[in-house]
Amino acid sequence: MKQAISAVVLVAAVAIGFIVWIAGDIAPKAEFVPHVAATQPAEESDYLRAAYSPLHFRPAIESATDGQCLACHREVIEDKVRAASPAGQKAELMRAWYQQTSTYSGEQDTFHRRHLVTPLAKQLMSLQCNTCHQGHDPREEAQGASATSIQQDDTAFTLRKQVNPETTCLKCHGEFPWQLMGMPGPWEEHKVAFGNNCMTCHAAIRTKRHEVIYLIAEAIERAGKDGADACYGCHGGRSWYRISYPYARTPWSGMPAEVPEWAKYRPTQSETRFLKRAPSLPQGTRP
Amino acid sequence: MAKKLDRAEVKKALERKVVQTYRPVRPKTQLGFIHHNVDCIGCRACEIACKDKNGLPPGPRFRRVMYIEGGAFPDVYAYKVNMSCNHCAVPACLPTCPSGAIWKREDNGVVDIDSTLCIGCRRCEAACPYGAPQWDPVEKTVKKCNMCIDELEAGRKPYCVMACMMRVLDIGPIDELAAGTWKTTALGPNEKPVRQVKNMANPELTSPSIVFIPHSKGRVDGKS
Repeated sequence: MKQAISAVVLVAAVAIGFIVWIAGDIAPKAEFVPHVAATQPAEESDYLRAAYSPLHFRPAIESATDGQCLACHREVIEDKVRAASPAGQKAELMRAWYQQTSTYSGEQDTFHRRHLVTPLAKQLMSLQCNTCHQGHDPREEAQGASATSIQQDDTAFTLRKQVNPETTCLKCHGEFPWQLMGMPGPWEEHKVAFGNNCMTCHAAIRTKRHEVIYLIAEAIERAGKDGADACYGCHGGRSWYRISYPYARTPWSGMPAEVPEWAKYRPTQSETRFLKRAPSLPQGTRP
Repeated sequence: MAKKLDRAEVKKALERKVVQTYRPVRPKTQLGFIHHNVDCIGCRACEIACKDKNGLPPGPRFRRVMYIEGGAFPDVYAYKVNMSCNHCAVPACLPTCPSGAIWKREDNGVVDIDSTLCIGCRRCEAACPYGAPQWDPVEKTVKKCNMCIDELEAGRKPYCVMACMMRVLDIGPIDELAAGTWKTTALGPNEKPVRQVKNMANPELTSPSIVFIPHSKGRVDGKS
């Protein structure tokens, strides 16, 4: 009798457990809330439409104005640096080694603002968005991978990096090629011997320079006369990279007929898109 | 009696003393990465392990597996190039930093960052030819790979290397990796590592500490 009761209790317990399990499984559940809100179809389509805007591709990007770029990429100009780092280090008290020169002024600012809107940038440079950014297919992680995109046989972007520093940044952030100039050593070690003035030699040597649309040649020449800091800033003073930019050897009055070995393979003019006068382009079109 | 200060002379002396140049650190050993472009299956386990370890929000990716595909039938190709920070011998990011947040370790050459000192000027991000410094849009600071320095100091390898199921990503002294003398599963018999692959920025810019086993379509040295 005792065994029969135990068996009944056991069967009843199993049956109740089974019923509870089934009931729990078929009961309505709380709605799953994802950590990241799903993008609305309209938003997604707007984003894709913007990503594939003709302005991001050649040839439209070549004539794009800063206004067109900044209409969407406002943060490039609007974003400022933090007033202090997360650890509390104040931006206003910071000075990097290259910010100790006489030509550096103003508060800490972002990379893009330093190149576009700060006083020195406006005084000496005329950089535009498409001076550096030449566009590419957003699907591609390397150029030439997509059969449908415009082929880029240059090195405008490299493995997801949208600008190739070798063809842009290096122009002003390369090493000072003192060996090619026949100098006894780096400029910072021997500048006193040259009166800390590049014009000691360059009043006569290589006198045709900076004749490109992204620089203001007259202002640079004026700044160079005041001292070497303005010149050295872009010619070795802020050399993030370990090589020098092979500038075009634009002919100048009194240029020696014999081309030195190191300059034999250099072009005799800057890239066509940067030349000040491009006769083949229609009026009002930016090269 | 103390000599009266000549303020003009003091100013000149200060100008002479102020550091206006930068001298790269030369480490005792330079650690670097090796990646097999062909055997990598692109599972991105390394990326996720890295994001997990570093607690990264959506957006920044310290390690990036890049799918390179192209060609026209029947001559089509696909391979992967996998890069994080290349811990360059002469990093471009380091001298740009105004806050001193980035530095190079003298013992192993790791280019480290203390993002709590970052003010978000994003100079390093622009200067790096390989896209290593990553912008954190939430904190408004830049962060980057430090080769899991805490793991290295504990005698282990970085999370990305440990997560690689194909064993095609590894670290080691870059000189030995480049010479092919470092014992690693990322290097097969008769394979020779190269410093640069197609579409990668010129390694002469900063001497990145990374070598690859390239795909035949990814070579830049003209060999097959």
